[in-house]
Amino acid sequence: MDRPSGMGSASVKRNSQEFHSVDQLFAVQRLEYRRDDRRFGGCEIRNRNLSILAGSARTTNSRKGISMNRGMLTIILSIFVLCTVVLCMMLAARKVSGQSAHAQISAQVYNPYPPGILPSDLNPEIERVRRELRVLEGRALARWRALKPPILVGQPPTLQNTGTEAVETLGELMNYDENISTNRNRACSFCHMPYAAFSGPIPSVNLTMIAYPGTFHFRAGKRTAQRYTYSPFFPVLQYNQVQGLFFGGNFFDSRSTGYLLRNADAEQAQHPPVDTAEMGFPDTACVALRLSQAEYRPLFEQVWGKGSFDIKFPPETQRICDTPGGAAVLGRSATPIPLTPEDRTRANMVYDHWGQSIDAYEQSLQVSAFSSKFDAFLKGNYKLTADEMAGLKLFDGKGNCNSCHLDGRGTTLKSDQADTSTAASVTPLFTCFGSANEGLPLNPRDAIYYQTTPDSFGFAENALGFGYRDLGLGTFLRSGFGSAPSPNSTWTQFAPSTDGQMQVTSARDVAMTPLQCPTTEAPGPYFQKEFFHNGYIKSLKQLVHFYNTRDKYKYNVTSGHCPAGTTEKVDCWPMPEVPNNIDMTTGNLGLTDKEEDQIVAFLQTLTDGYTRPYPNRDTFTGTCMTGGSAKTQGNEFLIPTPKLPPCATAICGTQPVPNPAIP
Amino acid sequence: MNGLLLKPAMVATVGSLLHPTPAASQVSPTTNKATHVRITQGPEVERADPDFAIIRWTSNNPGGSPEHYGVVHYGTDPTKLNQTAKSPIRLNAGHSYTVFRVRMDGLKPRTTYYYTVDSTEANGKGDGVKSAVKHFTTPG
Repeated sequence: MDRPSGMGSASVKRNSQEFHSVDQLFAVQRLEYRRDDRRFGGCEIRNRNLSILAGSARTTNSRKGISMNRGMLTIILSIFVLCTVVLCMMLAARKVSGQSAHAQISAQVYNPYPPGILPSDLNPEIERVRRELRVLEGRALARWRALKPPILVGQPPTLQNTGTEAVETLGELMNYDENISTNRNRACSFCHMPYAAFSGPIPSVNLTMIAYPGTFHFRAGKRTAQRYTYSPFFPVLQYNQVQGLFFGGNFFDSRSTGYLLRNADAEQAQHPPVDTAEMGFPDTACVALRLSQAEYRPLFEQVWGKGSFDIKFPPETQRICDTPGGAAVLGRSATPIPLTPEDRTRANMVYDHWGQSIDAYEQSLQVSAFSSKFDAFLKGNYKLTADEMAGLKLFDGKGNCNSCHLDGRGTTLKSDQADTSTAASVTPLFTCFGSANEGLPLNPRDAIYYQTTPDSFGFAENALGFGYRDLGLGTFLRSGFGSAPSPNSTWTQFAPSTDGQMQVTSARDVAMTPLQCPTTEAPGPYFQKEFFHNGYIKSLKQLVHFYNTRDKYKYNVTSGHCPAGTTEKVDCWPMPEVPNNIDMTTGNLGLTDKEEDQIVAFLQTLTDGYTRPYPNRDTFTGTCMTGGSAKTQGNEFLIPTPKLPPCATAICGTQPVPNPAIP
Repeated sequence: MNGLLLKPAMVATVGSLLHPTPAASQVSPTTNKATHVRITQGPEVERADPDFAIIRWTSNNPGGSPEHYGVVHYGTDPTKLNQTAKSPIRLNAGHSYTVFRVRMDGLKPRTTYYYTVDSTEANGKGDGVKSAVKHFTTPG
């Protein structure tokens, strides 16, 4: 509706000329950005000038009319001017719809980063992903238009026959909607594209800042974009008293508990729209406002009720929703939009239905497809290669991977045995829904460490700088800095025994890449991904090698400081960021180099798209990378970790404090 | 071994009946507790640095909660093992054995440490394992 359909094509041309390969990273960063800023600024000025020109031309035509006495040249010029008017309106519509003083301010770029932290191709890569996701949005719109309208029948009333597809399609449309962000420039999918199994789509970001830039450039979060795939199958976070363990939730720190919606994944989808570093709304009611303006509003009302948007938004709502969260002008209120209690309740319902709809999409076969080679193998329709089978045996045996990444297999095989066990009665998800601290080193490239100074809205994401430590689940249980309020104070006591723990993500689709870049591994052609919560690991080979040798090659250094004669990630692993509660199931597995490769080969059988094409995996328009070795992939971007200050009191001084104390 | 395997299968089947999604039935099962937990190899020093060591031993699979703690009681006096280091590990329901590894931080260089080991379930309940007092010396 307020989505200018013509913007995409205009942008494509402009940015295809500007596109850089990821090989061109890191050259005089600040200069690059100033240049980019001028370029984008110049474009806006040009648009405005065109609008002015078009306005005067229209006035002229109106006054004088189009005379038959005019020459053909004049007619052509008039047509040209009229076309320009239309084009400019289309180009400007997105800006115009959000016009306000705040929108103008938000055009300023926040760049607290030293040279080399932001990738030099960041702006064109952002625009590339935005073009790609608009293609996917178009497909979702077409799917909706082709959908046979469901009919509400029965008790309880049910949208018969096509209700499932209706809510899944609604979630899909939401996922690709850039209007669900302060500056109308960030859809959920910006950080979660299908060709990367709904994780981070920009190779240079995966190599450098690891967290994706949000709606206000360039605030960014602190962790990698977690895959959507199979996240809906995680249960509501619970503490199992018998086992003494937490299960479930969503996000690396499990902060999306699902405590109210009873659905961790639906609650997960509610967080990014109001995350200051992501889509940036200062109030959850902004989701309702923007959805009420969406082209697909009729589908929302069809699924969730005609009266969903009967909300009287006060006049200042637009301005508030155009202002990124954390802005000083908004004060400290969690609900700066002054709605009546009745309207607030309706807005809350829309917000809940936003989460539930996206959950429906993520659980659908569009996302969680169960279409991998491994699924075919379970069905007896695929014969694992020798290396893949060896990898499966190692996954279950010597590698001990399936003590957490449960694969549903019934046996542990010896080296000379073939796997003849029957398929498990459940579909294996390759996770135990638990959490573990694998002892990842601190990644000094993480964008979070540099956002110490306030932006133009007076907000700083991380005033603690390198005093920040990511304690994962432990920090969440304390309702601590950088996480979210915990809804359960009886869990707080368990924080010290969960410090450093991150969610055990499903291993499914860990190896998914765009079709034209067939692997994650150098020499490729490969698609550069990032692994674990802080993106320190850059290839699956490194991932398996880390589990295999973390303790064997442990050095008391931080990243970038491995001793001479050693190679980081090969025969030197820096100290863990959080030394508490490190999972010692792994760390010295005794796998050979070949055995590591075989586990990687097995992990690659978990990629969906074998039994049938994986939807929307075909949209990557970036560049595959080639060359090098998976063992040292990305090592050229290692930077020396600065001397670390002690863990900040705001994190490590919050009761109950970590035990032992974290340096 | 078979007993270890049957129990999770039963738990999984019951779970799938009780829960609406297949996910809920895939939570790590609490397996049968072993009658006796015996150390079959070690304990021994996997690695000793001036300020850090890893103690490693293998036992039969103790069963019980899927997360266990390896525990090292240590000190510089063999009669006063008043310090404790513990590290979590995950049991593999399909394995007949379990390897415990415990990290010891904050050690002093060129110092002899005496230690015994034990293991517990996640809630702190002991597996009933005791080892003889052994020792190692950190390098300089």
